[in-house]
Amino acid sequence: MNAAQWLVRALEAEGVDTLFGYPGGAIMPFYDALYGSALKHILVRHEQGAAFAANGYARASGKVGVCVATSGPGATNLVTGIADAMFDSVPMVAITGQVPTHLMGTDAFQEVDVFGMTLPVVKHSFLVRSVDELPQAVGEAFRLARSGRPGPVLIDLPKNVQTVDATHLPAHAPAATDAVPQPQTHTLRAALELLSKARRPLAYAGGGIALADAVAEFRTFVEATEIPAVLTLRGIGALPATHPLNLGMLGMHGTQAANLAVQECDALVVIGARFDDRATGKLSEFAPHAKVIHLDLDAAEIGKLRAAEVGVRGDLRSSLDLLATVRPDCAHWREHCLDNKRRLGFRYDAPGPGVYAPALLKRLSQRVPAAIVSCDVGQHQMWVAQHWQFNDPRKHLTSGSLGAMGFGLPAAMGAQLAMPDAQVICVSGDGSFMMNVQELATLVRYRLPVKIVLLDNQRLGMVRQWQELFFAGRYSETDLSDNPDFAALARAFGVEAMFVDCAADVNDALDRLLASDGPALLHVAIDAMANVWPLVPPNRNNAQMLLDPQTLEMEDADAALPT
Amino acid sequence: MPRYQLDLTLRRAEGALGRVIGTAERRGFRPLSVDGETREDGDRWYLRLSVEGERSAEFLTAQLEKLYDCLAVEAMPCP
Ligand SMILES: Cc1ncc(C[n+]2csc(CCOP(=O)(O)OP(=O)(O)O)c2C)c(N)n1
Ligand SMILES: [Mg+2]
Repeated sequence: MNAAQWLVRALEAEGVDTLFGYPGGAIMPFYDALYGSALKHILVRHEQGAAFAANGYARASGKVGVCVATSGPGATNLVTGIADAMFDSVPMVAITGQVPTHLMGTDAFQEVDVFGMTLPVVKHSFLVRSVDELPQAVGEAFRLARSGRPGPVLIDLPKNVQTVDATHLPAHAPAATDAVPQPQTHTLRAALELLSKARRPLAYAGGGIALADAVAEFRTFVEATEIPAVLTLRGIGALPATHPLNLGMLGMHGTQAANLAVQECDALVVIGARFDDRATGKLSEFAPHAKVIHLDLDAAEIGKLRAAEVGVRGDLRSSLDLLATVRPDCAHWREHCLDNKRRLGFRYDAPGPGVYAPALLKRLSQRVPAAIVSCDVGQHQMWVAQHWQFNDPRKHLTSGSLGAMGFGLPAAMGAQLAMPDAQVICVSGDGSFMMNVQELATLVRYRLPVKIVLLDNQRLGMVRQWQELFFAGRYSETDLSDNPDFAALARAFGVEAMFVDCAADVNDALDRLLASDGPALLHVAIDAMANVWPLVPPNRNNAQMLLDPQTLEMEDADAALPT
Repeated sequence: MPRYQLDLTLRRAEGALGRVIGTAERRGFRPLSVDGETREDGDRWYLRLSVEGERSAEFLTAQLEKLYDCLAVEAMPCP
């Protein structure tokens, strides 16, 4: 048994069933060891697809996603997907081949210092220079990836190390995941005290809730205390979209009710969220009246951007269990928030015969409420966040922190492999889709029945919107009106495809999309000038939202917000 | 600009020094001096790093403590 064969067995022992990759010179011994093994290797068509697929697999399943590439260009192609896993806290192990140790440091063919290159975007990394380091590296890589705040770990494995004899190595035994530290009683008591005195309390809930498996505890907390909640992009689903106390997403494209509540609250319970600038708007004016109770597993997040009156580090479940015993006197406030929510909600009655993307997404989400949805980056991503009726955060796969176009299709592939029986939908944009379009071949090869909804505005829409609003309508390099015929493109790969361009045909088109039993693509032509509303402009606070001029026209003037 | 002295104990692992100094720089601190050694029997690095930066020492130590190779870190204002 050589080291590569040992590694394959170690991966099996770690519970890995599927890995995503692309072969090449420096990783050939590992691919040789894979040949005939029980591991299911998914051959992608670009290493970025492998990294995003492993990432989507991990997001949907909660298990560690694994991707593999060769040295040099294979390794550099993984980097975006690794960075995405880092900044969205996704458990992943990336394995790269490296040139033989005696050539390392000589600018050898396909030598890239991927270990050095990825230092800022990994939770940790190992360069395994001898076979005896391999067991420790593999065990620690998986333990670190899934322990605490999850993240990606890189194992760089020189080719000559892969081929040496490993019969002397012990069979791999996975390390236990670290125990989650319990919150300190005195900080919890301080949190209880602060919250019990609040009159305008608000929960600000982030992706940490799902990572901590604390969704049930969070829901109990909200229901028991009757405190209204706002969610971050990655917190979506922690409360069902239809939950009465769910005010929606906060931040740059948040709902009016959520953003107003944040600016007015007197106590903010921050749960697994980190004051990201897309959520806070102008930080110095964020939640200006609030005392902050910050619950997080990662001590480095507490006080990082906003000082907390009370910081509670540790298991969110225990903290939420205890905080659920508070009964703040806040009926007035709650009514006020819910009234805003009723008055200032989204409208779906856009005039005109064209397809209105928000209405299509809401309709589709009602048709397939249990679906896993992955999306790309841009306006369509924000429409998914605003209008899809999520009730489980693990079903919303979105590149939140990195905002990486090209994420959607490979992530959907990974999710479908993790959850073969789930309905998986990929909502993409005409710009983003082209970044990993080659993965259509992977969908077909493995017969993955992912349904793609391609919202085509013939623009890099999100950038175009900013040009319209903040760059005097100077549309620099955002026109994609020479896009290929997407339906024909999909068919060329063997993917069933259909097209829709008017609102009246949307239902039929969705029927046909959902009725197909393999991979399928619905090409949706939408208005090039459609915008995402509301929008908090740069350097403004969250109450200073710009609203949809069309809706404003349709509504009473008193729906307009103070700016 | 405030200056801090950091006393660190690191694993003697490939990349440990790069991670520590890189983290300090990326998080907004400028190294002023670096002094360190491994010891004879050595599986540790002992590193004294002084930096300047607008952000707090707690901010930096919290980030350094997250590094797998960082076993201990203590920060104090530079004399
Ligand atoms: C890899 C990458 N490059 C550039 C960007 C900047 N960017 C953000 S949104 C966007 C436009 C996306 O266009 P499309 O996928 O068509 O989505 P739309 O906004 O039109 O819905 C761009 C270029 C990015 N987020 N990621
Ligand atoms: Mg577009």
